[in-house]
Amino acid sequence: MSGKMNRRNFLKVMGWSSAGVALTGCDMPTTITLEEGKEDVVSYVMPEEYVIPGVGVWYASTCTQCAAGCGIHGRVREGRVLKLEGNPDTAVNNGKLCMMGQAGVQGHYNPDRITAPMVRNGGSLTPISWHKALAMLEEKLGATSGDRFAWFTGTISGHQSVLLANHLDAMGSTNHYVHEVVNNAVSRAVNQDMLGEANPRLRLDKAKMIVSFGADFMGASQSPVQYAGQYAKFRTNKARGLLVQIEPKMSLTGGSADLWLAIKPGTEAVLALGMANLLLNKIKVSDAGIPADVRTLINSYDITKVAQTTGVAGHRIQRVTQLLTERSPSLVLAGASVEGQAQGYAATAAIMMLNHILGNVGKTIESAGEFPFPQLMARQGGTADLVAFAEAAKAKKLEAVIFHGSNPVYTAPKSLGLTEAMSNIGFKVAISQFPDETTMAADLVLPVDSYLEDWGTQVPADQSEGTAIHVQQPLMEKLNAETKGLGDILLSLLKQRKKDEYGQFEDYYAYLRHAFAAMPTSVKGDAKNDEAFWNAALQTGVIKVNGNAKDLQSTVVSFAAPVVDDSTGLTLVPSPRLGLFDGRHANLPWLQEAPDQISKVVWDSWVEMHPATAAKMGIGNLDLVKVSSAQGSVTLRVVLLKGMHADAVAIPLGQGHEAYGRYAKGLGVNPLQILDATTDSKTGELAMYSTRVTVKRVGPADSLSLVRMGTGAGDSQVGRKLVGTVPVEQVRRTEGT
Amino acid sequence: MSLDNILNHWSDYRKGSEEGGHHDYEHRWAMAINLDLCIGCNACSTACYAENNLAVVGKERFEKGQAMHWMRIERYWDQQELEHPEQGASFLPMMCQQCGAATCEPVCPVAATYHTPDGLNAQVYNRCIGSRYCSNNCPFRVRYFNFYSYYESAWPEPMEQQLNPDISVRDKGVMEKCTFCVQRIRTVKDKAFMEDRPVQDGEVVPACAQACPTSAIVFGDTMDEGSMVSKLWKKHQVERGVYQKTRHAKKNADLRGYRIFEDLNVDPSVMYLERVREDI
Repeated sequence: MSGKMNRRNFLKVMGWSSAGVALTGCDMPTTITLEEGKEDVVSYVMPEEYVIPGVGVWYASTCTQCAAGCGIHGRVREGRVLKLEGNPDTAVNNGKLCMMGQAGVQGHYNPDRITAPMVRNGGSLTPISWHKALAMLEEKLGATSGDRFAWFTGTISGHQSVLLANHLDAMGSTNHYVHEVVNNAVSRAVNQDMLGEANPRLRLDKAKMIVSFGADFMGASQSPVQYAGQYAKFRTNKARGLLVQIEPKMSLTGGSADLWLAIKPGTEAVLALGMANLLLNKIKVSDAGIPADVRTLINSYDITKVAQTTGVAGHRIQRVTQLLTERSPSLVLAGASVEGQAQGYAATAAIMMLNHILGNVGKTIESAGEFPFPQLMARQGGTADLVAFAEAAKAKKLEAVIFHGSNPVYTAPKSLGLTEAMSNIGFKVAISQFPDETTMAADLVLPVDSYLEDWGTQVPADQSEGTAIHVQQPLMEKLNAETKGLGDILLSLLKQRKKDEYGQFEDYYAYLRHAFAAMPTSVKGDAKNDEAFWNAALQTGVIKVNGNAKDLQSTVVSFAAPVVDDSTGLTLVPSPRLGLFDGRHANLPWLQEAPDQISKVVWDSWVEMHPATAAKMGIGNLDLVKVSSAQGSVTLRVVLLKGMHADAVAIPLGQGHEAYGRYAKGLGVNPLQILDATTDSKTGELAMYSTRVTVKRVGPADSLSLVRMGTGAGDSQVGRKLVGTVPVEQVRRTEGT
Repeated sequence: MSLDNILNHWSDYRKGSEEGGHHDYEHRWAMAINLDLCIGCNACSTACYAENNLAVVGKERFEKGQAMHWMRIERYWDQQELEHPEQGASFLPMMCQQCGAATCEPVCPVAATYHTPDGLNAQVYNRCIGSRYCSNNCPFRVRYFNFYSYYESAWPEPMEQQLNPDISVRDKGVMEKCTFCVQRIRTVKDKAFMEDRPVQDGEVVPACAQACPTSAIVFGDTMDEGSMVSKLWKKHQVERGVYQKTRHAKKNADLRGYRIFEDLNVDPSVMYLERVREDI
């Protein structure tokens, strides 16, 4: 052993430091002999005796296509990974995988991957050797004082997160900006205040009724496969679950609702308070635990006024509220269209309060407990960090920034002024797989392995059953000799700062082996030895840990009264799609060619409007229109859909890339660009769903320019029984549900 | 199978189908798709692209109707008279229904599409001459023709490394369609044969059913009475055979099982279960 490392420091390096509970009784050595662990990284796809040519073998790993962290099995044949499926050993996705996960192989084999390190030379990026690139990093980062250095990433967890945090520490910086466009940051803040846990377990499967205010839990959510699986149980339970979806634009989840209600954008909190009023004052549910100011606020929302403000019919509100008391336990959810309001925190809190009133806390919202290894937990992001980052860049507070797993140049609204402020950052490093917008703006580009070539651990933030660490292992040899794993790059950076602690690890694999060997015995269970434990972890892809669940109690917090903008006009809904997501998957051709679930458009952007709204403005289906906000405008084609509130227009996210390879570049428009920079005062999150826009017709319909799948006959079944629908009463008779 | 042959044997062909077909079937692969669980998410469709070497054709060719999505999700709006679709959308996963009395089979001039002892409508790519009669004759519109050599642009290097070596990449002039993942069926049957045992229920899982996040798709052998799919068909009183037979079979018309275009007498192998909605 080269350096002298004490036990505490060792744990910190390895990511196992904890509040102490998990290590009780653990037989940890204070020093580790490193000689034993020395071995080469041997890919599992090197011809081994047990590999039969022509026969596919499935290996476990973890998906990183979104932050959900689903377990996967990859089919490997003759050294190539061919097909990904869900890992049935994981509770998160239970053997299933969504379209984004399926398309992971197209990212891995993408023809536009970056294959060599590049440095900005004059105006353009030119190839450079890894040796020189790392030397340059050492020089530049060494000359940067701690608080002027930052990491900018997407959601990151597991041992990569440990190394990243330790690198920041070594740099003397605390600047880790974590950014996700599709996030639940406001809900996390509300949950933290009301439940004491940011990510409680949502149990849709235990609910008899779900009322979702814009929560697209099966679509662009934090864990779409997990919640779709729970939804299946919810629907097949005896006494079939009832889903009511309330939102300004029909989401994928809204498409499966028993009752879909269009609501005027920005009035969800008013509806929630109206429902609370009915519950407390008419149905006489107990108001225990509700602060006096909130109680007074609730009293002022009578049903007539609420119906008028929200555009939801009074009898609907009464019926839904009544059913919520009859179908207990229920679950009330708030999603992006609520969180992304100028008063997103207050609106989300008003909706979450309904769970408290209805007694759902502890029944359909359970404690996730305390994850025993806080260092490994997911660092989840939102848009507040994007705003803060733009401010810091504008104020010239940042000298060197490393970007990974996020594309802020593409996702930041123009109004944040980030694109211009990027030039204030002297040294921008992108650890990147693709030439996306942020990478193309970097000074140094480090090509990273795909997740199917890399080692790692992931800790999904949303785990409704059990608590587990998911293991990521390479499913094949690197496609490009010049790419490096994220962990290996992090380790190189740490070696530059803390040679004595990290110099002993030849590579990230060696680091992980030691981290696993150092895992507390409480986690290792009855594995015979470290080797057996490591092999078992790779085989199943899952390490189960004790989540220390506890009873969940709710405390209703005071929140501001909703402010309703009475001015007429249209509100822009920048809707994320399961598929292209926030734009990160626009370079995967399967997902470009997969028709949007609701509008059925492929390979393009479009704006969705209600036919009545369009008719008033003289706009017809597929007309070319200009959608303008105070920040700018985009020009695109209209798709008329009735799954829209008359005061909302929706432009799906994902397109409008100015870079990002052959499949993404130059297609459609990016609605994020024209968003206002308004933020929620409580959380600092961008109010992405509050930008007012005008729509103006600029050209006639042209069926050739917007391509949609099978949209003849007004999308009607024209009397044929293609999709039969039956009332639930009939099924209760025949199937007893 | 010449035109004469078809005309001379047409009634035999239909009769054969009504009485269980020409074959001594070894298996009759079938599906049950619960539309109440289908959320229209496209997981099945994308899994199908990954498993079956389906070419991405691009925007222009998609517009001309050349998309190769063997498994597609159709989306319908009911309640068109309302201001909003209050009961959401109607999603329909649609792929080859592997009909027992398939209309595509008898019209093929070269017998490139034929009925297998597994009850599948097989497509012999090497035999196909691209007449497209089968596609014209398919009431479900689930046959896809290679108007071009899509592979020239669909898999730029190194994407071709993802191609599934178990099945071919089709070239210009050839018809293709859903095979119920015949390569997976083959692998399982071979394994069972080597181990000298029957194929177990649940052993064959097509890519779509495997991916489905809500497990809406159940696949299996209707000749195996213990199989999940047999039980579902039985529970919903949907039987093999043509309309005259199935109409009498269904004693309880309220049961959710149905086959699309039942009255065309094509004996599809896919049973759908009606979507359920609670009117509140």
